[in-house]
Amino acid sequence: MAASAIFILDLKGKVLICRNYMGNVNINEIDNFMPIMMKREEDADLSPVVIHGSTHFLWIKHSNLYLVAITKKNTNAALVYSFLYKLVEVFTEYFKSLEEESIRDNFVTVYELMDEVMDFGFPQTTDSKILLEYITQRGHKLEVGAPRPPATVTNAVSWRSEGIKYRKNEVFMDVIESVNLLVSATGSVLRSEILGCIKLKVVLSGMPELRLGLNDKVLFEITGREKSKSVELEDVKFHQCVRLSRFENDRTISFIPPDGESELMSYRLNTTVKPLIWIESVIEKFSHSRVEIKVKARSQFKSRSTANNVSILVPVPSDADSPKFKTTTGQAKWVPEKSAVEWNIKSFPGGKEFMMRAHFGLPSVESDVLEAKRPITVKFEIPYFTVSGIQVRYLKIIAKSGYQALPWVRYITQSGDYQLRTN
Amino acid sequence: MPYFGSEEMVKELKRALSNPNVQADRLRYKNYITKVIRYMTQGLDVSALFMDMVKASATVDIAQKKLVYLYMCTYASDKPDLALLAINTLRKDCADPNPMVRGLALRNMCNFRMPGMTEYIEQPIVAGLRDKASYVRRVAVLGCAKMHSLQPNTDIDGTIVNELYALLRDPDPVVVVNCLRALEEILKDEGGVVINKPIAHHLLNRMKDLDSWAQSEVLTFLLRYRPRSDDELFDILSLLDSFLQSAHAHVAVATLRLFLQLASAHPAVQADALLCTSAPLLATCGAASRELRFAGLCHVQQVMRSQPGLFGTHYKRFFCGYSEPTYIKFRKMEILVELVNDENVALVLEELRSYCTDVSPELAQAAIAAIGRIAQTYSEKCLDILTGLLALKQDHITSAVIQMFRDLVWFCPQSTAAVCQTVEACVDSPQDSEALLWLLGEHGDQISSAPYVMEGYIDGLKTELSSAVKMELLTASVKMFLCRPAETQDMLGRLLHYCIEEESDVCVRDRALLCYRLLQRGVEETRKVVTGPKSDPSMSVLTGRQEEPISQWASTFNTLGPLSGCDLCPQTAVISAADQPSSSAEKELLPESTDVTLSSPDDTEEEISLSLGPPLSHETFEKMWLDLEILQRQTMGFPRPRTALDTLQAALQLVKIQTLAFTPGATVPWKAYIYTRSTGTLILAELLQGDQHAPGIDESLVVSVKQQPVNQHAIRGFVSILKGVLQTLNVDSS
Repeated sequence: MAASAIFILDLKGKVLICRNYMGNVNINEIDNFMPIMMKREEDADLSPVVIHGSTHFLWIKHSNLYLVAITKKNTNAALVYSFLYKLVEVFTEYFKSLEEESIRDNFVTVYELMDEVMDFGFPQTTDSKILLEYITQRGHKLEVGAPRPPATVTNAVSWRSEGIKYRKNEVFMDVIESVNLLVSATGSVLRSEILGCIKLKVVLSGMPELRLGLNDKVLFEITGREKSKSVELEDVKFHQCVRLSRFENDRTISFIPPDGESELMSYRLNTTVKPLIWIESVIEKFSHSRVEIKVKARSQFKSRSTANNVSILVPVPSDADSPKFKTTTGQAKWVPEKSAVEWNIKSFPGGKEFMMRAHFGLPSVESDVLEAKRPITVKFEIPYFTVSGIQVRYLKIIAKSGYQALPWVRYITQSGDYQLRTN
Repeated sequence: MPYFGSEEMVKELKRALSNPNVQADRLRYKNYITKVIRYMTQGLDVSALFMDMVKASATVDIAQKKLVYLYMCTYASDKPDLALLAINTLRKDCADPNPMVRGLALRNMCNFRMPGMTEYIEQPIVAGLRDKASYVRRVAVLGCAKMHSLQPNTDIDGTIVNELYALLRDPDPVVVVNCLRALEEILKDEGGVVINKPIAHHLLNRMKDLDSWAQSEVLTFLLRYRPRSDDELFDILSLLDSFLQSAHAHVAVATLRLFLQLASAHPAVQADALLCTSAPLLATCGAASRELRFAGLCHVQQVMRSQPGLFGTHYKRFFCGYSEPTYIKFRKMEILVELVNDENVALVLEELRSYCTDVSPELAQAAIAAIGRIAQTYSEKCLDILTGLLALKQDHITSAVIQMFRDLVWFCPQSTAAVCQTVEACVDSPQDSEALLWLLGEHGDQISSAPYVMEGYIDGLKTELSSAVKMELLTASVKMFLCRPAETQDMLGRLLHYCIEEESDVCVRDRALLCYRLLQRGVEETRKVVTGPKSDPSMSVLTGRQEEPISQWASTFNTLGPLSGCDLCPQTAVISAADQPSSSAEKELLPESTDVTLSSPDDTEEEISLSLGPPLSHETFEKMWLDLEILQRQTMGFPRPRTALDTLQAALQLVKIQTLAFTPGATVPWKAYIYTRSTGTLILAELLQGDQHAPGIDESLVVSVKQQPVNQHAIRGFVSILKGVLQTLNVDSS
């Protein structure tokens, strides 16, 4: 991939951190970056690749920072972007949140990390778990003697160190499904997909071997249990610890888990399900006087489940004022900075329907600025429920030392990119 | 950026660093060093402290060491003599029992970019290559590349290269990949690292152990390997099969590229691979990160050049989300236009229509342009939508719609009546008047209110700023005068008067004078000059996009090329096009065609050689065709060959003439557009049979040639070669 240099800039384009990996570009090249960006932005012609002469800037933006990779080669773009995002991930793991402040406060660690993740423009060790073992933030403390390179840097099982010990051995497994939905203004479902992932929190000693059984349709077909309820998974992706060859052969998911938190697998389902929360809205705008909003929310899942912390964000014109609300349940409030009404419902049982009415005044002088048609967005969380119907049939823990370990499984369905367009 | 009072600051730091009291208190000492680095990061020149920092490198605190090394790497090239002082400490560290320290010292020593460094680092690097800790080996391997880049013009050290090749068998996967990377750098001038059979097989077997970065790079290196037999090829492909579905987009795409290249002789395998990768590609198009999403979309566009149908059923995935940046929305719209078919056209149009009212005028215009392109196939539905948009009375929307109308009338003459009707209803002077004026001038006879609209423009001429509009107005008025003289005469006079007498822009005045003199020559003469064809039906041949062969884009796949919208390495594209052997069937069909061509009797000129060169896109061809003049028109004296069109195309390809597009076999008039290159010129040509304007010779083929830059000799050569091929085909088929 050969990134010649990597920069971290603030929003004005001032260099916070720079690391010249290959020495084949002039560090001052970065001064060209911001002017080009500004010009492009004006022309509405922004793109994640910016070219200046023979230099290519590949950039991403994270909170109030730009991360920019400079390359002179015709490299693989997806790889560079993935690397930059990996960098963000590593920094976030270290500093909790990655922003200008945290970079300034931790620049020593940032330099140390950038030294390890890349050498001569090539990615080296990028796993934050491994990095955390030998680059620590003891900021002002004095270290006498260096840490040894952890076994994991060179280990055959690169994601787990040897000799981990816990008093109580447990595994927590979260099956999380997020629903992406896009509904047109006329009420037809344009896109509906389920993105699922299984997250692990492993508190286990030694080098245990885990085996996970799901109600996977392909597996059931192999074993001749077609009648049982099963799920057809698409685009299944695993953490590198899962033995792919075994999965290919007999769909067994077996692995030595990384210690602590990790994402074991992700999958996608394209099957259209009934939208879990359906919104019908009428937004009537009477120019120069008022806006009247009527929103009906219906939960379309079984009544034994309950959606928690439902938050429905309905756009209103930015110049609206003096709100009045009436709801059959929950609280509605005006959020002027988002130009929206936020209707919060703490608990929304299945098969129910609620209403919200809002009334806003409009100024008699209309602004010339055309307003975007923003969609209604919905956030929710339904515990103990998966839309796809995926189930963990078993989670076996086989440890050489033969200790007893407890597996815990939890299911959550939540909203992803859940949008309903308005007229 | 030098700060005010920065010199003071440096002095103060220098004092502190050299203060023995501070040096004794290690924590305080370290804090000062951190401060130096902080200033360095802020762009302050702290190179004056070099001596003091070198002293600070002799410490047991590894974090402090790292900081000092960072400092030294930054300023070493400015202060080479002082940097040499630090070398001793570094070399001592290279022998430290702790591998972490060894690695760190070696890495930083190699990062000193200053001349004369090689003699100091060579020995530690060689030692590092044999270190028992893989952490050090990783550093040492890349160190070889760094050493080479310090002295790029020296001879390649054979022992190091051999050692690196041997290290390809290292148990540590990162060492293996670093070896490849280093060899690639060192052997750059010799074409990079050699991937022979044992190396390729070894790498393929190690693929599973590598991390995703390494996988993706190894896949790129493997592009160089050519399997000996089909058996080997399929073994490799089945080994890599699972990587097509990798969780990492960049690995999946890199695998796809390798598949496309390895299986270039097996179209079925290529198609399978594309099908397999369509899921991960689509997933990338919906990735959380917008940059990856963008990269995914660009690659989908490339794949669609050959397999337009592959994503047809997934068109909903390309509907734009509200919060997506415009560069993603633009790409998505382009893809949607390509994906339109009979089943989804209603939904796609509905979706595009909702973008037309977006707040961003650029986006709205792009959406209208997208509808306009679909209108070339589904004109009725699109016209309804475009007409509906006019009712919104938004300036930017109206002008974009009128532009689309103009293009539509030009491409699909059958929609002229409908467009004229709509224009009639909506003509209250939009912003972009050029397109409207063109429509009025061209089809003034069908728009009853045309003269009155035109009059409005002429009356407001003094306030018009754009000279392009004025010129269009002149041409349009003259055209209008030709079809509706009574209504136009008076205002045309005023317009000409103003433009000749008062206009300051030379171009406008010249155009006005031209019009004036033309009119002096009489109406018939003017008509001959001013009225061209009202639409170009032959252009519809060009608008239907052909499926391109995969090899056309495979060489730039998974590089920056598709993202920046231009081929960054045209050289490789040329090579792949020239390398491609024409299939054996074609050769059998035309055993002696080349010979005939070159020795054909009328080829009295000395031979000219034609070459293929990089392929032209339809758009470029179309533009050049419209821009250039016809240099030669010749009747061949015989009809076109009765062979299948594929054969014709293959035969032309054999003599290095590319076919851009042709009408289906049975249509009359039959047309084909071809092009080729010869000694620095580009030759474009049209073959036409059954032209209704020349009924006498309708059975004979007419060739019209355009060229840029002009070279008569090349044209004669081209025509004779072309004639030779066509004659041969005629002989064969009869």
